[in-house]
Amino acid sequence: MSLEQSLQGSGPVVAVAEVREGRLAPLTRELAGLAGRLAALWGVEARLVVLDAAPGEPAATAARQTGLAVTALAAPELPELTGEAVARLLAGFLPAWQPRAIVGGHTTLGLDWAPSLAARLGAACLTGVEGLAEAADGPRFFRPGRHDKLVEEYRIEERTLVLTVQPGAFPAPPEEPLQPGPVTEITLPRPALRVRVREARPGVAADAALARAEVVVAAGLGVGKPENLELVRRVASLFSQAAVAGSRPVCDLGWLGYESQVGLTGATVAPRLYLACGISGARQHTVGMQGAGFIVAISQDPRAAIFQLADVCVVEDLLVFLPMLLELAGAGRGGEGE
Amino acid sequence: MRVLVCLKQVREPESLFELKDGRVVWPPPDRFRMGSPDDFALEEALRLKDAGLTTELAVVTVGPPGAEAILRRALGMGADRAMHLLAPEGARAAVVAGAIAAWARDEEFDLILAGVMSEDARQGLVGPFLAERLGLATVTGVSQLSLPEDGLLLVERSLEGGRRQALELPLPALVTIASSAHTPRYPSLSNLLKAKKADLPTEAAGEPEEPADGPELVGAAWPARRRAGLCLEGDARQKAEHLLALLRERALL
Repeated sequence: MSLEQSLQGSGPVVAVAEVREGRLAPLTRELAGLAGRLAALWGVEARLVVLDAAPGEPAATAARQTGLAVTALAAPELPELTGEAVARLLAGFLPAWQPRAIVGGHTTLGLDWAPSLAARLGAACLTGVEGLAEAADGPRFFRPGRHDKLVEEYRIEERTLVLTVQPGAFPAPPEEPLQPGPVTEITLPRPALRVRVREARPGVAADAALARAEVVVAAGLGVGKPENLELVRRVASLFSQAAVAGSRPVCDLGWLGYESQVGLTGATVAPRLYLACGISGARQHTVGMQGAGFIVAISQDPRAAIFQLADVCVVEDLLVFLPMLLELAGAGRGGEGE
Repeated sequence: MRVLVCLKQVREPESLFELKDGRVVWPPPDRFRMGSPDDFALEEALRLKDAGLTTELAVVTVGPPGAEAILRRALGMGADRAMHLLAPEGARAAVVAGAIAAWARDEEFDLILAGVMSEDARQGLVGPFLAERLGLATVTGVSQLSLPEDGLLLVERSLEGGRRQALELPLPALVTIASSAHTPRYPSLSNLLKAKKADLPTEAAGEPEEPADGPELVGAAWPARRRAGLCLEGDARQKAEHLLALLRERALL
């Protein structure tokens, strides 16, 4: 497939299922739902492909859950898929359908294959899509822009579009359809690959204290340096049943262990109170905590994306505000004779 | 081994832009810095250099006049050579990847590193687009990278739910970095002084080879607040008092 070959699809909108360790991820139903809406808008068919070493069971599940026509694409020699493998397999298979659009998840693997596939197909690519609207000249797509501080609106010419969809942005309908979709299984030839999976291992289980905590005090890169985590820990100790958590970069830097990570590549938590300290509010993180009962965000940046989903916003320097909070809370406690 | 790191100049995140007719307007002064996680990608490359594994470490940026400031910073941190490809601020991913590809094609880098996505636009497109154009093996979103003797590059990344994947790929390769265990270093004063005087080569970014009719940005708006978003007023003490009162009211403290 050459770069010059540009697809101008008039065929179906194709959702690409998310399969993790042989199981269909719930995100798939969201992708199928969006594919269905887009297909209706363009007056074309919506289809779902399930690509896996053994796609039979997840494909049957997907057909039952979405009602879409499902094509199970078997890659029997590839037990662990990489973006390279997915991009090559789909670039080999999908052009025959002349797809109008290809819809994947905005996940680590989705971001690994979607732009490469778009480049291979000569298609346009839009990542992190969170909204869809209908305009006179066709669909409009919305995605966050400028450090996720605003919402950008995009239009697309008559050209095949590869898009990745933010998990949770398009909730799936609660009921299953009356009729499961038909399933077709096709075994794909093994492509020539350069990237090889050496090992895949399960993630570090989330800290038990984090999972059951009623209060989570979370640190982002805004804490500046690991020594400042002590302040965050002391704030956590103001509450009973509290745990300290971190955003992805804080855990990758080793300032906190992976068992304390909240977000797409970590734990999803829903405590009564989530206190976000120096967290910018990247979607990577917010998908893991947006269900918290009460969200307080502290950041120096008045436009930080985290404030969009906060109940209370505190625009302050953490190193000034947290000591002040500790001092005043300590005084209050003393008064109560604790 | 010849290594290239792709860097992007971004506005300081605290710069308060306005929206006028759906377009972003920046009040003066212009304040820029090297974006993250590009700085993590550069740090990983510098560690390869520290280990004696590189013969040359080059950095490139595609951006408007002035963007060379981040190249000077990169030289100050220890990069050997810099290239500035001129293009307007906010050039599309296909244009940026096309410009770097046109210049890098004859340079024959063994390893190209970039941030997994730019700090501001967060699209994640330039790395994979560039890899496809140059025909390089590629992995995105990596948080660990090493080069054992066998000529293969070893990388590790986190997947959804915290699963870890260890991958190997042959050189030449392009890898994008999500973040890493290594805090980007500060430039050294002597290197910075040298970099300040250095004559940085500049070229106009070439025309992209791909049709540029990608998704067209038609406007922007402030996001809807999803919760109350009560913004506390006053000085730090007043805000802290107010917050404690709110938490006690809700029996959270």
